[in-house]
Amino acid sequence: MGASSLIVLFFAAIAFSVGGISIAKIFVKGVKNPQKGQAYECGIPATGSPWHQFNVGYYLFALIFLIFDVELVFMYPWAVVVKQTGLTALIEILIFIFILFMGFLYAHKKGALKWM
Amino acid sequence: MNASVIIFYIIAAFILGAGILAVTTRKIFRSAIWLLFSLIGIASLYFWMQVEFVAAVQIVVYVGGIVVLIIFSIFLTQKSGDEMPKPLKNRSIFSALAVLFGFAFTFNLIKQYGFKQIESTPFEVKVSDIGNQMLSTTEHGFVLPFEVVSILLLAAMIGCIVIAMKVKHNEQ
Repeated sequence: MGASSLIVLFFAAIAFSVGGISIAKIFVKGVKNPQKGQAYECGIPATGSPWHQFNVGYYLFALIFLIFDVELVFMYPWAVVVKQTGLTALIEILIFIFILFMGFLYAHKKGALKWM
Repeated sequence: MNASVIIFYIIAAFILGAGILAVTTRKIFRSAIWLLFSLIGIASLYFWMQVEFVAAVQIVVYVGGIVVLIIFSIFLTQKSGDEMPKPLKNRSIFSALAVLFGFAFTFNLIKQYGFKQIESTPFEVKVSDIGNQMLSTTEHGFVLPFEVVSILLLAAMIGCIVIAMKVKHNEQ
């Protein structure tokens, strides 16, 4: 029963993390220090709120990410059988990735991945 | 009640709890994070049913893709960190009525449907079967559709770049 032990492991992981945080909450002394709330302990101090409106152009990043995300779904069953199928599987996936890499090159050439 | 049934009820409670928190929280970003937990719960339900491939797709596409898309769109809107106003009382009464009606309707439909026990072996697809079928070059193999999928994804990518970049040029 691989799947159900995975589920048990999942809930055990949640219990461990939640338990650790809540036990720490009980024992911690309430020392107020603005330095503690900083995003980084050292380095340049963060300025402004992180909740400002970002450029709409970044939505394109998410869309391109989603395409490669869907590509990953097809690589999962491929990765399971690549050892027994051998060279054919390798050639097939190379064609698959080559075609998608053309899309990536197109995005790069069009400047879709530029910092705005 | 065996262990499998108990695990099912734990998962179901987790999904429903995260879903209720997703719709009741006053901050939209937290709402997206609760939605993420709810979708992870659905993935574990698929694991419970031992359909590993569907579970993996659920995690990769929904948890990894759609929720990221939703979070991106939240960050692109104005005032994403603010608390939303409380819903109007009239509206919440009517939405509760609509939910109750929908629940009663679905419950009735499921109750009236005669579920039958199937004698044959349960439906079980291994990921290696899917992979072998997908990569096989024989007559009933799916290698051509597999390659065509990459063309489809390429077309989708080029399409979204063309449409989104056009909007950007109009703005300038």
